[in-house]
Amino acid sequence: MSSPISIADLQDTALIARLQALVAESPVPAAAISAVLYTLQDARGYIDDVALHAAAQLTGLSPVRVEELCTFYSLVLRAPAGRHVLRICDSIACHLAGAQDLLAQAQAYSGVALGEVGLRGALTVVPHVCIGLCDRAPALLVDGEAAGPVDATSLAQWLEQWEADAWKPS
Amino acid sequence: MKRIFYLDGQPVPFTSGQNVLEAAIAAGMARQIPYFCYHPALGSLGACRQCAVKIYPHDDKHPPRVTMACLLPASDHLQLATVDQEVHTEHRKIIELLMLNHPLDCPVCDEGGQCHLQDMTVQTGHAVRRYSGPKRTYRDQDLGPLVHQEMNRCITCYRCVRFYQDTAQGDDFGVFGSRDRVYFGRLEDGPLESPFSGNLVEVCPTGVFTDKVFRHDYARVWDLQQGPSVCPHCAVGCNTLPGARLGTLRRVRARHHPEINPHFLCDRGRYGFRYVTAAERPVRARLHGVHSRQDAVLRQVATRLQEGRSGFLGSPREDVQSNLALFALADCLHAPFAALSSPWMEALAQQCMALPQAPTLNDVEMADHLIVLGDLGGVAPMAELAARQALRHGARLTVLASRPTALAEAGDYRPTRPSALPDLVTGLAEDACLQGSRRPVILAAAETLGPAGVHALRKTLARLPANARAGVFQNSPNLFGAAYFAADGHTVRLQHALRQREIDHLLCLAADPLGSDWGAGIWRSLAPGLQGVTVLDMVDTDTVRAAETVLPMAAFPERDGLFINYEGRIQAFAPVYRREAQVPSWQENTRGFPAAAGGQMHPLGPPTPQYWLGRLAELLDIVKPWQERLTFYQRFLCPIAPRPDHPGILLDDALRARFEIAAAPAAAPVGTEDWELDLFRWHGGEALADAAAELQSLAPSRGLRLNADVDASFATLSGPCGRLRLPVLPIVGMVAGVAALDQEGFAQLGLHPGEAVQIQWETVS
Ligand code: SF4
Ligand code: SF4
Ligand code: FES
Ligand code: FES
Repeated sequence: MSSPISIADLQDTALIARLQALVAESPVPAAAISAVLYTLQDARGYIDDVALHAAAQLTGLSPVRVEELCTFYSLVLRAPAGRHVLRICDSIACHLAGAQDLLAQAQAYSGVALGEVGLRGALTVVPHVCIGLCDRAPALLVDGEAAGPVDATSLAQWLEQWEADAWKPS
Repeated sequence: MKRIFYLDGQPVPFTSGQNVLEAAIAAGMARQIPYFCYHPALGSLGACRQCAVKIYPHDDKHPPRVTMACLLPASDHLQLATVDQEVHTEHRKIIELLMLNHPLDCPVCDEGGQCHLQDMTVQTGHAVRRYSGPKRTYRDQDLGPLVHQEMNRCITCYRCVRFYQDTAQGDDFGVFGSRDRVYFGRLEDGPLESPFSGNLVEVCPTGVFTDKVFRHDYARVWDLQQGPSVCPHCAVGCNTLPGARLGTLRRVRARHHPEINPHFLCDRGRYGFRYVTAAERPVRARLHGVHSRQDAVLRQVATRLQEGRSGFLGSPREDVQSNLALFALADCLHAPFAALSSPWMEALAQQCMALPQAPTLNDVEMADHLIVLGDLGGVAPMAELAARQALRHGARLTVLASRPTALAEAGDYRPTRPSALPDLVTGLAEDACLQGSRRPVILAAAETLGPAGVHALRKTLARLPANARAGVFQNSPNLFGAAYFAADGHTVRLQHALRQREIDHLLCLAADPLGSDWGAGIWRSLAPGLQGVTVLDMVDTDTVRAAETVLPMAAFPERDGLFINYEGRIQAFAPVYRREAQVPSWQENTRGFPAAAGGQMHPLGPPTPQYWLGRLAELLDIVKPWQERLTFYQRFLCPIAPRPDHPGILLDDALRARFEIAAAPAAAPVGTEDWELDLFRWHGGEALADAAAELQSLAPSRGLRLNADVDASFATLSGPCGRLRLPVLPIVGMVAGVAALDQEGFAQLGLHPGEAVQIQWETVS
């Protein structure tokens, strides 16, 4: 499928150079897709359509293939996220250890639905598949850092901290 | 030794490599094992967990256990059971889970009555829904005019995406999401791009993907009249199952042919049938452009024929018997006859006939090295699909074409000027690329290769090891059938007779000499010498519009006949339904009298060509000699005609061998500085399919395709028969100095692929 969007639409030559270097050092271009997506996500906050098509063109994958990957891996964000991203594991071990309560607590605090941006741009809460910390269930990822076991109090501490930050005049 | 295993105590035969489910289905025991994700062409996945059986190990160390039949390799004396409490529970619970989110919409679902999910649900006895929670719902996409999507019905068997991405190697359809929210569709709304998209309708075991064309004029499957037919849209001759109701054709599905198309059809084969229901289709006899009584029109044609100044033109678009009937009539009247509209096509047909036995599409799938000449997919899509299966099995692919076709992108693309093909083909025998292949197969688009190229191919094959095979394709269903009548110089003689004013009337059978048939430029220049043209056809063409008399014909599913495909395989098709003339409802009361009162209750649709020609023979008082000749030729050509549900009979080798003596065709030399022409076709284009509105809404725009470096917006081409101004469409990667043009354009210019052309450029800012 051809797309009207091209790599140049990223409008960031340094970023494009970094991406091209990633592809160049990969044994086959397609194998660089995860690294390319993470780099794009770091630079742009999430994978928007421009980033999706750019990643496809750089790696020679079709945009459909890239979207398949983005929608399958919950570490890849396809929508804007808050400054802090809370990924709460709700797979089996964490579920049994009360992940649903943590999810409900965090979501209520954010004031918006799961996956949306709440707390004046400070927070996005998403459920996540097992992060391999089943022995420390319930576990979660706070801005990419693993933590567990987490209880309502420790979760509340993060949330309150972020809320305070959100109201700080910048 | 026959190998067997036991299912519920009954012996099931299998061949090595088969899994238990596959063998059980083949043995007609599918009722014992419900399944979803397994598909004979797509293989096993183990995704749906529906096909449980209980296996009793031979040793006493392991207890009996439940396992998936589709993932269990069949082996000798395996003991399996399905009549078992545990297996039964598994079957019931899995279907209950699969049905959790399924809408209860069978009454309004197009799949109803032919739904695998419906069958399996009933078969496993899941009759009461216990779940009453909310269901998972999706937004559907608009996937274009051919396939309708209703995602809520999905059971995530992954058949669709396995077909689309793996089998058809399409890249605009995929599977998104994870867990219990998995979506099968495109990145955004828009028509599916694969030439095989219609197969989603058949591989999906539920009503997610249904036939959008059928939807417009829908009937429940049990109300359809269906019968064995053969696709008339290209030389492959895929087997089809048209379905009709109340005298109108509603849909076409694939019919199993073990060696040509075991499961699938291309979109031209599936949706091209709408020529039958096109509003422009001639369905009533016409005299001077006005609907007239059959008798009046026939009398006029007979008068013309009686004058003894008539010529006859057959067509590779028509079946064997109709061409025969025409030939026999011409013979009785000692009138000039040609089966093909141009000497070039005549030479091409003869060269194709002379080729050694072509590989079946099954053989193509087994090839370990493929050489493809020209745009195969634009001509015979299912041949391309077979080539893609070979690629999946690790075959190497070399594509010699003037532009990077879809297939070229999957292999080694060698940009080639069409005029260079004959020499390149000659060189293939020494080419390093064929070294070491055990089952090399060469596939070519006949018209791009041209008569000289096909001749070179035969010579090359003779020098290649005996395991090398070649198949040559074009997009009419019966070139071999017509080629049989195409003796050297027939077309030239017919045109000469017209030029010398020996004839002034032309009777055309499904030919369009004044429109887009090969050589139409010459015919048009000779047209002033014609007092009248008679056409028998089932689509509206330039020739039909210009004709003095038009005799409408029954479409292929409305009659029986024989086609001879690219392998020389004679296949029969049967009448599936009887077309009733469509009488507008306000005319209801003016219909004919009931049969009892001596009239017709239902006016019949257009008759067969044999009927028309027979009536003419009657009026000319030559019925007996006409019929004698007809029988004689038919016995000669196919002494035993196959039945419509038979896989077909190969044309006699001796019959084909006589074409080997045809003179070696010469190709006009093309200078390296000259612009030359290549043929452009797309997967939905063909004389009949061109009248199928839904399919044609996807047709690529008309223009002259050439290398993106050319800086011009319009081009005016001049050929011996005319000029043509077209917009320039840049193609990245196309060979410099080659311009690709549609058949209509060639017809207008009077040129052929691989010939030089004069081009004037215009740049509009
Ligand atoms: S859309 Fe049809 S074929 Fe595809 S996964 Fe769903 S049920 Fe299976
Ligand atoms: S490949 Fe040819 S014969 Fe087969 S379905 Fe397509 S058009 Fe018909
Ligand atoms: S289930 Fe939560 S970390 Fe594994
Ligand atoms: S058919 Fe065996 S698991 Fe689906």
